[in-house]
Amino acid sequence: MKVTLLGFMKKEFAQLLRDKRMRIILFIMPVIQLMLFGFALSNEVKNIRLAAVFPLSDRISHEVLSKAFGSGWFKPARTTSTRDPSEWIRADQADVVLVAPPEGITQALQRGNARIQLLIDAKNVVRAQQIEGYLTAILQTTALDFIPVAAAPQGGVVFETRVLYNPELITSYFMVPGVMSMILCVITVIMTSMAIAREREVGTFEMLIAAPISIREILLGKTVPYIALGMLDAPVIILFATAVFGVPLRGSLLLLLLLTFVFVCTTVAVGTLISTISKTQQQAMLGGFIFLLPAVLFSGLMFPIENMPIYMRVFGYCNPLYYYNSAVRNIMLKGGDPSAVLVNVLILAAFAAGLIWISAKRFRLTLG
Amino acid sequence: MVSEPNAVIAVDIRKLTVKFGEFTAVDQVSLSVRKGEIFGFLGANGAGKTTTIRVLCGLLVPTSGHVRVAGYAPEDGLEKIKTRVGYMSQRFTLYDDLTVAENLKFSGSLRGIVGRKLEQRIEELLEFVGFSRATGAFVKDLPGGIKQQVSLAASILHDPEIVFLDEPTSGVTPGARERFWKLIRELAGKGKTVFVTTHYMDEAEHCERIALMKDGKIIALDSPGGLKASTFRTPLLEILPSRKMAEGSWLPQLRAHPAVESIEPYGMRYHLVISDPARLGEVKAQIPPSFEISQTAPSLEDVFIRLVEAGFIK
Ligand SMILES: Nc1ncnc2c1ncn2[C@@H]1O[C@H](COP(=O)(O)OP(=O)(O)O)[C@@H](O)[C@H]1O
Ligand SMILES: [Mg+2]
Repeated sequence: MKVTLLGFMKKEFAQLLRDKRMRIILFIMPVIQLMLFGFALSNEVKNIRLAAVFPLSDRISHEVLSKAFGSGWFKPARTTSTRDPSEWIRADQADVVLVAPPEGITQALQRGNARIQLLIDAKNVVRAQQIEGYLTAILQTTALDFIPVAAAPQGGVVFETRVLYNPELITSYFMVPGVMSMILCVITVIMTSMAIAREREVGTFEMLIAAPISIREILLGKTVPYIALGMLDAPVIILFATAVFGVPLRGSLLLLLLLTFVFVCTTVAVGTLISTISKTQQQAMLGGFIFLLPAVLFSGLMFPIENMPIYMRVFGYCNPLYYYNSAVRNIMLKGGDPSAVLVNVLILAAFAAGLIWISAKRFRLTLG
Repeated sequence: MVSEPNAVIAVDIRKLTVKFGEFTAVDQVSLSVRKGEIFGFLGANGAGKTTTIRVLCGLLVPTSGHVRVAGYAPEDGLEKIKTRVGYMSQRFTLYDDLTVAENLKFSGSLRGIVGRKLEQRIEELLEFVGFSRATGAFVKDLPGGIKQQVSLAASILHDPEIVFLDEPTSGVTPGARERFWKLIRELAGKGKTVFVTTHYMDEAEHCERIALMKDGKIIALDSPGGLKASTFRTPLLEILPSRKMAEGSWLPQLRAHPAVESIEPYGMRYHLVISDPARLGEVKAQIPPSFEISQTAPSLEDVFIRLVEAGFIK
C-alpha cells in the first residue's frame, strides 16, 4: 500500500507541477484572487452624501457639517421633506444621517451626556465602516475644540451608531480570512474531482483498475496528493493575507494550520464524491461549481448566517466552509480560544470522514 | 465444445452474456483458449470484442455466464485474476504528460514492484520491445508505433501468464504493425497466452486460432487454414478487369450465372466463387478475354467478407 501511495504521489505531482496552467492555478491564482477581493474592498471612499438633523442654534453641529464638507469626503445629501431620517437612507437619498440630540450637541455636551446618532447605509460594508470612522473623528475633534473636558476620551460623548442593512459591520479584515477558505476550496474541490474524472475520460482509469489494487489504495492515491497540494498553498495564502492586507494573526499558527489541514481533507473529500458521479472532466467541473456557489454564499463570508431565516441557515450549518471561516476569524482576529476552535476542527473532521465513507461506498473498481 | 483438462486451458468462457440496459453487447459466447496460444478475436467495430476482454480482465461484471481465467473465476477474487493477466486497452494506456520511465515506474508501483527489481525489469522489457530512445522522453512526443511498444512493456511488467491486447496495432504504420506481431510471437514463444483483437484481416493470419464475432455472437472459430477450407469448398477466381471495361455489363451477367455463387470486389480486382467446380470452364468462358484470370487461395479477408458481410453462415 505504501508503494502504491508513493507511486501515486510522484505521478500526480509530476503531472500537476509540470503543467504551466496548473502551476498558475495553484500559486498565482490564489494571490490574484486575494488581491481582487482585498483591494476591491478597501478603496478610499469619496462623495458620501451626508444629511443632518439638529436644532438651528447648535454650533457644534454647524461646525461638524462645514468640516465634513470641507474634507472632500462628504457632500450634502438632497433629502425630501419627510421627517424620518432613516427614510432618507432607505430611499437612497443619503449615505449617512447625523441625528443630534433634540437640544443640540452643544447643550447636551455641556450637560455631560450627549447621545449622537449616526444612521449609515451599510450595503457596502467597507464604505460604511469608513464613513463611520471619518464622521466620528470629525465629531470628536470638533467637540474637543468647543468643550475640552467633556469631549475627552473618558468624557460624556456617546456615539450611537446604527448601521443599517449590515449590522455585523464586516470589514476587509473580516473578508480576507473568508476569501482564504474560498480559494482553498476552489482549488482542492476542482482539482481533485477533475483528476479522477480525467482518468475516466482519457481511459487510463481502466489501466488503474486492471491492477490488483483496492478501493482504499486508489482513494488514498488520488486524494493524499491533493491534500498535500492544498497544504502547500495554505501558507502562501496566509502569508499574503498577513503581509499584504495586514490581517493580524493573533492566535496560534499551528492551530490555524491544523484547522486548515482538516478543512482541506474535507474539501478534497467533496471533490472525490463529485468525481464518483461524473464521467467527464466537464461534468466534474460543473459539479464542482454547483457545490461551490451555495457553499460560498452560505459560508458567512459575505452575509452572516446568523441573520438569515432559519431555512437558509441550515445551508450554513451543513457547510464545511462556515465552520472553517468562523474558526479562521476566531484564530486570526480574536486570538482563537483553542477549545472553541477544536469544536470546529472536530465538526470538519466528521464531515471529511462522512464524505470519504460515502465516496468509498459509491466508488466502483469496475466499468459500466 | 470439447472440454480439455484445466492444466492446458488459459481462458474458458461459457455462455457469457453482457447487457447494457436492454442492449446485448455479448450474446451467449463460449470458447476456450489453450495455454501458449495466440488467439485472435476478429470483428467489426461494436461486435463486442472489448466488452468480452473487459469481463476476462475483471473490469466488467457479466450479466450471465461463467468465465475462468488462469484457473480462477471472478468469484474467487478478482485480484487473483488481475495478478495473472496483463491488459493493454484499446484506449490510452499511458499518461501522455509523463515520461516513459515515469509511466513504467507508476505501473510498477500499482503492482507492488519497486526498487532495483523494477529498474531491472524495465530495462529488460524496453530491450525486449526494442525501445531505443531516451526513457526521459514524454509519451506525447512518441510516434504511435513506439507508444504501443511502451504500452506493451507496461502491461507485461508483472510477467503475467496471459496477455490481453485490445487492438494493439490500430492506427500505426504497417512497419510498426509488423514489428508488433513479431513481439506477440516472441511472447507466445515464452509460453505466454496471447489474446488479441484486431480488425486487420492480414494480421489474423498470425494467430493459431481465430474467433469471428458479429453483433455479440461468435459466428466462426477455427484456425486460419480451417476457416478458409470450411468457408471455400469450391474454387475461387481472381479477376482483374481490363481498364476500359472496368465498368460494364459483364458484372451483372456473371453474377446472374447459375454456377457463380458470389462475386465481390477485392481492391482493384474481383473475387468470384464458383458453386459447382464442374462448370469452372463454362464460367471462365463468360469472362471477357482481355481480363486477367487466376485461380487463387482465399485470404482471411475473403473468409470475413463471406461470413460477415455476405451473411454466409453455415
Ligand atoms: N459501457 C457501455 N454502455 C453501453 N453500451 C456499451 C458500453 N460499452 C460498450 N457498449 C456497446 O456494446 C457494443 C460492443 O462494444 P465493444 O465491446 O466495445 O465492441 P468492439 O470492441 O468489438 O468494437 C457496442 O455497440 C457499444 O456501443
Ligand atoms: Mg473494441
